[in-house]
Amino acid sequence: MSRTDVSIKTHKKSSLNEKTKEAISGYLYVSPFFILFAIFGLFPILFSFYLGFQKWNGLGEMEYVGLQNFKWVLTDEIFWTSLTNTLIMWVLGTLPQLLIGIILAYALNSALIRMKSFFRVSIFMPYVTSTVAVAIVFGIMFNSQEFGLFNVIFGLFGVDPISWGTSWWGVKVAISTMVFWRWVGYNTIIYLAGLQAIPNELYEAAQIDGATIRQKIQYITIPMLRPIIILTVFTSTIGALQLFTEPLIYIGRTYREEGITVVLYLYREAFSNLAFGPASAAAIILFIIIIIISSINVLIANRIGR
Amino acid sequence: MKKWLMLVVFSSLVFALVACSDDNESAGSDDGGGNDSGGDGETVSLDFWIFGSTGYGELVDEYMEEHPNVEITINEGEMEDMHNNLFTSISAGSGAPDIAQIEISAIKKFLDAQDQFYNLNDYGAEDVAGNFLDWKWAQAQNVDGSFQIGLPTDIGPTTMFYRTDVMEEAGLPTDREELAEEIDTWDSYYEAAKTVKAETGKPMADAPQLVFNALRDQQDQQYFNEDDELIIEDTVKEAYDYTTKMIQEDLIGQNELWTPEWGNAMADGSYATMPGAPGWMVANVKGNAPDAGGNWDIANIPEGAGNWGGSFLTVPAESEYPQEAFDFIAWLTAPEQQLRSFEIAGLFPSTPDVYENEEFLATTDEYFNGAPTAQIFAEAAQSVKTVYMGINYATVDTELNTALINVAVEGADPQEEWDAAVERINSQLERQ
Repeated sequence: MSRTDVSIKTHKKSSLNEKTKEAISGYLYVSPFFILFAIFGLFPILFSFYLGFQKWNGLGEMEYVGLQNFKWVLTDEIFWTSLTNTLIMWVLGTLPQLLIGIILAYALNSALIRMKSFFRVSIFMPYVTSTVAVAIVFGIMFNSQEFGLFNVIFGLFGVDPISWGTSWWGVKVAISTMVFWRWVGYNTIIYLAGLQAIPNELYEAAQIDGATIRQKIQYITIPMLRPIIILTVFTSTIGALQLFTEPLIYIGRTYREEGITVVLYLYREAFSNLAFGPASAAAIILFIIIIIISSINVLIANRIGR
Repeated sequence: MKKWLMLVVFSSLVFALVACSDDNESAGSDDGGGNDSGGDGETVSLDFWIFGSTGYGELVDEYMEEHPNVEITINEGEMEDMHNNLFTSISAGSGAPDIAQIEISAIKKFLDAQDQFYNLNDYGAEDVAGNFLDWKWAQAQNVDGSFQIGLPTDIGPTTMFYRTDVMEEAGLPTDREELAEEIDTWDSYYEAAKTVKAETGKPMADAPQLVFNALRDQQDQQYFNEDDELIIEDTVKEAYDYTTKMIQEDLIGQNELWTPEWGNAMADGSYATMPGAPGWMVANVKGNAPDAGGNWDIANIPEGAGNWGGSFLTVPAESEYPQEAFDFIAWLTAPEQQLRSFEIAGLFPSTPDVYENEEFLATTDEYFNGAPTAQIFAEAAQSVKTVYMGINYATVDTELNTALINVAVEGADPQEEWDAAVERINSQLERQ
């Protein structure tokens, strides 16, 4: 009895070793990401949660102030303006981007179009450009004077020059256009990949059953694309809520109320006003808002194509 | 058991990474400030962060030739980037250079963190204080003058650039002396503006901010008093009212600084004067209006000059060689070297000694109708007032500018915009 006991034990031990070895190599393989994430992702996140409850100017001593920072941010009119701006630019920039992305992807996927690679590359090109360069070029096109490109174009239709740099809607339309132009290709390519993954047999079967194009889109394309749509809605929503570079370059360091976004607001608090506490509090509030909006997104997206 | 192993693996990995980064860091500081990297064991190497076009490269080479034991590495970038890098490295406690250039707009922010810099008074700054203009020297000091964070480099004394063609059309004097006599107060500036408008249909000035700045800079106190209380109602409200009144009468345009429109207007000659223009604006006008040579000239601002821009050289507390760093910057900011960097890069000297130098005073500029630029700016430099700026100067400046632009572009009510700006300023100030 004792002999068998021992043999079982040794056997067990060696198998455990084998397992741990595998586990170690597994962890080693995935560790680079997690270590980098811990340093450049997790630490800053946790640190800003900590900072949200401190008063700190970036160089001096920190001081615990409880919920004071949150109170300041939530009672600050400019914070609410920045939130409204962000949401408006989200709608203006993201919705058309996704709708037109699907249409473009459908067109690119159809058998009718020639030189597909050329069109795919050109549609994707804006995504590769530098945001700063885009913002500067668009800044020139959205010149507020009469001779600005867009004002000239609108002028042909008898519209008075619009002050794209200072008016409530002008600034938002200009920034949203930049975002739209830059991201529409990215979403198109993702949709295209999704479309190509749909087996042709489904369309053929529908064809035989005499389905119209509209029916094919409604009953095959959209339901099959659902996971992709959820993904793009997710990423572009989060991206839109974190809008920063375009408005920063476009309206400059004046942080005008017409174009300030939530991230620009917290950037201003931290690096212009040296109020790192309220800035972190605003970041935490934005984090919560993103969670809420993403959850709503999931609910809505789950209904698409049902 | 498994968990325990995982912990070991993870912690050893983290340790390895930390050890790695430690290695890098010590390697980095060997490059930058290492004492034993040199062959003879005496080499002092200094990291030197600068921005803008300073022309310091040439001077640094010269210094290293004279001091073979000193090795200076220049790191050049955009002003905003250099300030941010300095801020984060000081905040993190590692990575700051031995010498950092800091612009006037950021100096108070860093002066607020005194313990992160060497007090240059401890290394002989008081001995060279006499070299510099008083107001410039005071800008890099704490309130009681016991702490000197930096040595002055260049300054930006302001003058009034004007278009001779527009003045001529308006029937006003085109000669700089005569014009300065004609427009010697802000009242006469306003009268001249009405003449220009009536005769040419053009505004007197283009950017509201510049007119406001010119008036503001003539005040003894501007945005804050020395207790850091906001005092704009009593100090610059008048300047704001003057500017907005002229805006409403179409005597001032609506361009914001640094926009393409603003640059174009320099070439078009669509306005008469640019008050509050410092020496470095010369290069800016030439760049934006390369073909307008002879149409621009320089006169004094009515009622006195201000200062716009200019930098300081500081020694962050991380440096291992404060004395060597100080010796170098004291040399670099001495009158002779400031004159050199004026000749190389156009940085206007902050050392009045230079203003008596014949060669310096003989500097003229064909573009500005042969105006004796050095002499005009030197005169302006001596009339600048010492002003306490305070750490939040830029915040107030940004919001007041927004108010001015709203009045100019949107036709908003000046008083409402002022009140809104004050509210925005207060809400930002109270949370620090």
